[in-house]
Amino acid sequence: MSSEPPALSVTGLYKKYGQFEVLKGLDLALCPCAIHGLVGLNGSGKTTTLECILGLQDFDRGEIRVLGHGPRKLHAAQGRIVAIFDTPSLNPNLTVRQSLRQALLLCDGAARKPAEVEAQLGITKFSDFKIKNLSLGNKRRASIAHALLANPEIILLDEPFNGLDAGGVDEVLALIKDLNQQQGTSFLLSSHQLPYLEEICSHIAILHDGQIAANDEKSRLLGSVQSTIRIQTNDNHRAAKIIGQQAGLSLQTNTNTDILLVNSEKIGPADINRQLVEQGLAVSEIVAERASLDSLFRRITQEPNP
Amino acid sequence: MNLAVKGFIKALRSELLIARYTLSAWLVVLLPSVFISLQFLVVKMSETGAAARDSLLGQGGFDAMIANNAYGHFVDGLSTGLTLLGLLLVAQAAYSFSVDRDSGALRHLLIRCSSRRAVVLAKLLQLHLLALLAILLLIATSYLVSDSLWDFGPVVEDGFELIGEEEIASEIKLGLELALLPLPAAIAFGVLVSVVANSATQAVVSALGLSLVLDVFKGMLGEYAYYLYATFQPSLLDQSYLQDVGRLVRGYSDVLVDERFLELNQWVPLPALLILVVASLFVVQKRKV
Repeated sequence: MSSEPPALSVTGLYKKYGQFEVLKGLDLALCPCAIHGLVGLNGSGKTTTLECILGLQDFDRGEIRVLGHGPRKLHAAQGRIVAIFDTPSLNPNLTVRQSLRQALLLCDGAARKPAEVEAQLGITKFSDFKIKNLSLGNKRRASIAHALLANPEIILLDEPFNGLDAGGVDEVLALIKDLNQQQGTSFLLSSHQLPYLEEICSHIAILHDGQIAANDEKSRLLGSVQSTIRIQTNDNHRAAKIIGQQAGLSLQTNTNTDILLVNSEKIGPADINRQLVEQGLAVSEIVAERASLDSLFRRITQEPNP
Repeated sequence: MNLAVKGFIKALRSELLIARYTLSAWLVVLLPSVFISLQFLVVKMSETGAAARDSLLGQGGFDAMIANNAYGHFVDGLSTGLTLLGLLLVAQAAYSFSVDRDSGALRHLLIRCSSRRAVVLAKLLQLHLLALLAILLLIATSYLVSDSLWDFGPVVEDGFELIGEEEIASEIKLGLELALLPLPAAIAFGVLVSVVANSATQAVVSALGLSLVLDVFKGMLGEYAYYLYATFQPSLLDQSYLQDVGRLVRGYSDVLVDERFLELNQWVPLPALLILVVASLFVVQKRKV
């Protein structure tokens, strides 16, 4: 982690809904200029965390600072902090252009013009459409445009890829990269879309059981995950024995899926394939699975927290 | 500039922009005037029919003369328009905060530029500006349309001037002033419901329902009803002083207005407004948005 003071810090955050304790001492820090992904299972408290950070709901205990401001005083940052939510969160009766004019009124010095962000997000042709008449994807583009008119230092995004088509996802990813690299904007992204987060984030935090179960630079986190090879043959028990003898490993077959998993650091897929074929086994599937956020996420969320 | 003031101004400018582009705000401003214009046309048509019938039967007299005086119609227009405007403002106020919370639009204001209290105060001021526009338009429409359909003049019977125009104007001014005083409290009531309710639909339905049921409730309160701001507001069941003025300018001399009632009308809506605004500012701090 960087030695600079964090742009956003959450310390010992506790939040209960009735008897259900959703956050149990959550700690999180967002380094300046980082793109920090926050991932977790459904109902793990990602949105609650963001809403507490943004002062939209109260929490029971803990401390939150964003650019030195408490959650109820974010407006004192004068537009340096913005958020994009999982729902469009724009006035449905305004057109896209009117909505962007409204956004201009909310910021002190607009960094961009409405026409510019409309073009950047590909919604120029919907400029005169009311927000309520847009498709979900275009509503999301409009809400991103609304946020980008200001010159934010931190952008918090809750499920930013929901409702976007493949092209839209690419545009948003490119936009996040550009803003981060050219203007040093920090991002905190909460999403289920692990491949996108893996592609774009510099840091990842995994929220599980009300706490941050893993939080580090992406490369370090993924470095801790072993790559595996998925194998399926006409006789997995014999295949396991052959590979085990060759690599000195004890292998197990997943009885539910009838798939053999091998640690790829010990042996490569080409070697495995050659040996199995030489032993007369029919290999119907052999896939090298690299260490991924998905595999790390699955590993952590399937384990009970210590 | 103080940060709180700056936030309030930004929120107000944003509210005014939204009002400029949304139908509900335009309805608040235009509907009372459109409605009373239609009312005047219907009344004029019905009077013309009655006059034709009376002329055929050789009847007419004081009633016809009174009906022809525009002042009575002008006041009727104000009374109807303000009754409608009161309800529209309560509904619009109830809608204002709750719909922004429903859509999530409120979040951008809170994160980027204004405190919760500044947003509530900006909404209150925006609603008062809408009310002011609606009232000015209502007075102008009521005056111009009644002037075009009838004639303004003193109330005269058998060549004797019962009520002069100056006295009529002064009574209308007083009636209007007393009818307008409770409007800010009505707006603040709508805003409080908006802040408390869980959705825009719930807020509008509750605010309108409570406004209407207050009329019934007042009957059960007896003397204490005078301490309820809504007693003095033109409404569907109750009578504001404006309705008495309507009778007065038609030459009815039996209009007796309780001085105490007038006094209460002048000050009761103000503490009510204060209480409702303070309650809204308190509740908004506690709500999830």
